[in-house]
Amino acid sequence: MAAPSELFCWKGSWGLPSVDTDSLIVLAYARFAGTPLKVHKISNPWRSPTGSLPALKTKEDGSFSQPSKIIIQLRKQKYNADYDLSAKEGADTLAFISLLEEKLMPALIYALWIDPKNYAEVTRHWHAENICFPLNFFLPSRMQAQQLDRVRLMRGNSTLEAGEEAEKELYSDALECMNLLSQRLGSNRFFFGDSPSSLDAYVFGYLAPLLKIRLPSSKLQQHLTALENLTTFCSNILSLYFPDENQERIGHPASNVQEGSNFDREPYKRRKQLLSVLVAVAAMLGYAFLTGIVAIEHVKEEGLTGNTTSTDLNDEEE
Amino acid sequence: MGTVHARSLDPLPMHGPELGVQADDLDVGETEYEPQQEVLENRDVVVQHVHIDGLGRTKEDFLTYEIADVFRAKNLIDVMKKSHDARQRMLRLGLFRQVEVVIDTSHGEDALPNGLDVTFEVKELRRLTGSYNTMVGNNEGSMVLGLKLPNVFGRAEKVTFQFSYGTKETSYGLSFFKPQAGNFDRSFSINLYKVTGQFPWSSLRETDRGFSTEYSFPIWKTNHTLKWEGVWRELGCLARTASFAVRQESGHSLKSSLSHAMVIDTRNSPILPKKGALLKINQELAGYTGGDARFLKEDFEIQLNQRLFWDSVLSASLWGGLLLPFGDKPTSIADRFYLGGPTSVRGFSMYSIGPQSEGDYLGGEVYWAGGLHLYTPLPFRPGRGGFGDLFRTHFFLNAGNLCNLNYGEGPRAHLSRLAECIRWSYGAGIVLRLGNIARLELNYCIPMGVQSGDRICDGVQFGAGIRFL
Amino acid sequence: MSLAAEAFVSQIAAAEPWPENATLYQPLREDQILLSDCASSLAVQAYLRMLGLPVRVHCRANAEYMSPSGKVPFIHVGNQVVSELGTIVQFTRAKGHSLSDSLDDVQRAEMKAYMELVNNMLLTAEMYIQWCDENTAAEITRPRYSSPYSWPLNHILAYQKQWEVRRKMNAIGWAGKSLEQVYEDVSQCCQALSQRLGTQPFFFNKQPTELDALVFGHLFTILTTRLTSDELMEKVKSYSNLLSFCRRIEQTYFESQDRDSQSGALDFSKGPSLM
Repeated sequence: MAAPSELFCWKGSWGLPSVDTDSLIVLAYARFAGTPLKVHKISNPWRSPTGSLPALKTKEDGSFSQPSKIIIQLRKQKYNADYDLSAKEGADTLAFISLLEEKLMPALIYALWIDPKNYAEVTRHWHAENICFPLNFFLPSRMQAQQLDRVRLMRGNSTLEAGEEAEKELYSDALECMNLLSQRLGSNRFFFGDSPSSLDAYVFGYLAPLLKIRLPSSKLQQHLTALENLTTFCSNILSLYFPDENQERIGHPASNVQEGSNFDREPYKRRKQLLSVLVAVAAMLGYAFLTGIVAIEHVKEEGLTGNTTSTDLNDEEE
Repeated sequence: MGTVHARSLDPLPMHGPELGVQADDLDVGETEYEPQQEVLENRDVVVQHVHIDGLGRTKEDFLTYEIADVFRAKNLIDVMKKSHDARQRMLRLGLFRQVEVVIDTSHGEDALPNGLDVTFEVKELRRLTGSYNTMVGNNEGSMVLGLKLPNVFGRAEKVTFQFSYGTKETSYGLSFFKPQAGNFDRSFSINLYKVTGQFPWSSLRETDRGFSTEYSFPIWKTNHTLKWEGVWRELGCLARTASFAVRQESGHSLKSSLSHAMVIDTRNSPILPKKGALLKINQELAGYTGGDARFLKEDFEIQLNQRLFWDSVLSASLWGGLLLPFGDKPTSIADRFYLGGPTSVRGFSMYSIGPQSEGDYLGGEVYWAGGLHLYTPLPFRPGRGGFGDLFRTHFFLNAGNLCNLNYGEGPRAHLSRLAECIRWSYGAGIVLRLGNIARLELNYCIPMGVQSGDRICDGVQFGAGIRFL
Repeated sequence: MSLAAEAFVSQIAAAEPWPENATLYQPLREDQILLSDCASSLAVQAYLRMLGLPVRVHCRANAEYMSPSGKVPFIHVGNQVVSELGTIVQFTRAKGHSLSDSLDDVQRAEMKAYMELVNNMLLTAEMYIQWCDENTAAEITRPRYSSPYSWPLNHILAYQKQWEVRRKMNAIGWAGKSLEQVYEDVSQCCQALSQRLGTQPFFFNKQPTELDALVFGHLFTILTTRLTSDELMEKVKSYSNLLSFCRRIEQTYFESQDRDSQSGALDFSKGPSLM
């Protein structure tokens, strides 16, 4: 084949190869189909060839962005994980992917981006730390606005706001969807037989973030952990196809990671506080000098040592 | 910056008055203001020049009409009176923050011995004034930003813009007002607005986006206003539990209407008048200039006040209205009349009289309401001469009816329908006057004639508003 | 519908039997209704007929605004208003009527998934063709959508709705698709449905379910509606088992019951009015 294509996707954390659902889908599919890809894990969507992540850059055909388009492109290059599926299974794939997109995706976006606690403590924090300066100041909030808009448009409810009512609506649909997936999976290893297909990639992409990212408030996570076959399914895929991610994290048990991150925050926090106080004091002094509220006078003391400079603080305005 | 404008005795443009020179033999009076008992009244004077100092963007020809009268003054007291009148008229234009009058003898070569110069020293209003308020009420907080541009082009045109940004709704309004030169009572204005309202008594939410132009003019003692208005109305349910009748009204419609209003107001004050009468007649014809709604709407308001013994006032008022739809489309809930509440028939909940469906009031096509009030000062007159004068006790008797008519029947049938099932109430309370615009009331009401479906507010009822029955 | 409201509705609903005067509201049939709305309405009508529940169809120009969720059709049963097929299915289940009780878990999962397939692909494709294809939008969709209103409100509402739909297409990633790709997606969807149906009379063997009603609603409407081009119709026609499926349901549930044109799917070939 020609030189391998390049795949740009979001960085990973928490034991995941990537934190973004779409990137996970594409990565999983690529591994399932055995595609040789050069993977660039970045955290700046502006650096991708299409302006969004994930993006596939091929030598001849240009660049593609959404997971469905990327998978079609990979299939064109003869990397097809669905080769062995029967026609009916192919139809089921389409149906279940639609189910995921209609019922689970809005809830997932809500849990990560719209729920205030989760957004502030986990998502925004991660993005602020991983996106380079100066984008990390405004990109997360812009992404949040886009995601809120997206959920509103998908549900057809333009007044949807973070709150109990929206949460209940979205989560009930998502819980039902997870139950249905669990029922369909049953006790099989993968959805269709013994080798994974694109449906497995999609399910993995949606469920793995829920499994691995520690969210402070999430009923979805609790429900997912209760569905054993789905958790086994995700862990299976992670250990079989993304073993290197797991190894990185083996040396750092969860609590250490927590502490580490806390500790990491601490010196920055102190430094930031000190810096802001210094800047404020310098600004005040500068203003005082410039407007003449404070003036330094040279007072020659007669009879004493030669040039004594003393600072005289005048409160009068000159 | 000040431009000095000198007006001489030459004939003025357009409707300038004819002037003649009064040549009398008089002493040259240098000091007119001296408290000499010398008969200043009899002294004939001639106003030779009228200056206006301090004009910036106001156009002089516009002010000519206001000051024209000063030239006609014959003697000193007349000059003072007429210049005072001119000052009032100039202030009424809304162009100036301050107008001061200086009367002096004439100076210069053509000065007559009894000539006077009148100077108006004016301070124009700033080109742009803004205001910012926050309002809280009805589970909603909002921030209101206002911008006013008085005297935009120099002839008392006024542009105002108001923007209200609330937790639930936003609304705005832009209006342009222009009085006719020389005749402030005739004016023309254009408005553009978006207003949202929530009406819990009907479980209805209404958003109006509209454009209107109106022209007002006086005829003898009456004031008339002609208006064309185009409104895009959007109705929706306020809650999931809204009745189906209200749900059926949801959606968009366009109303394009011509209306005419006539007002005769001889009261001495719009709030708590002591004497005088008010007659307001309003009619609106919708549908013949486009739009979906087609109807003819008439309503009137009469109020009579009579002062009685001991500083008390007897006031009688009558309201009525009729909505006549054309074609086979039924009337919209946004056009119908509503009755009841602390500002109309007291003792009933807000707009909670008349046809209703599952607790949502739908309004009616015809109504009448009458009230008889006796206002007296507070017993024992506390705070007399000051705060206490703002309060009044009042005893009232209100009655009214609201229903839909079957237009096929004759007028006799209509009248009998209006006369049956009359709701009425009586009671007493205290009224507080707020400035010259609004009043607050706290009443004890006893509603009677209650029909099934009406909601009453038995006992103490509080009301605030501008227009009361 | 929020969860609390649903629970409330279910409680109330369970208490009362299905009344005689249940009504279904949709936009005006002759001049106003669009392809996607017609499909959804037909799906609900088919579902209720399969359950044997009587319903009258009323056409109102403001049906879209009357609906509690903004989508048509909606039914007015007793004093409740329920919109969209998914919620209506739950509502009827609370009253004790259901078509999918006999399915096992795996089948139910598949049924729900295929219903989402129709919503996700077929319905979205219909909306795309109606509103995002400039030809169709200018010739058919906008004039029809705005027909009950007077100038200039008709233009404002039509363009507002078009803008909204385009934003939604943007959000779900369909904005970059060309018309050809959309037809391809429709084809894929029909192929999946055809595969699933196979040679069976209904999707889940002997008994119809809500999936059958939904598929019938969409496919029948596509087959009998003339748009600016016939390509959509041709894509569906190429699957013969779907054609016979539609014919079978039409014959069983629409022709045999009542013949009056009120609810008849018979004279659904709109012909000149949509062209």
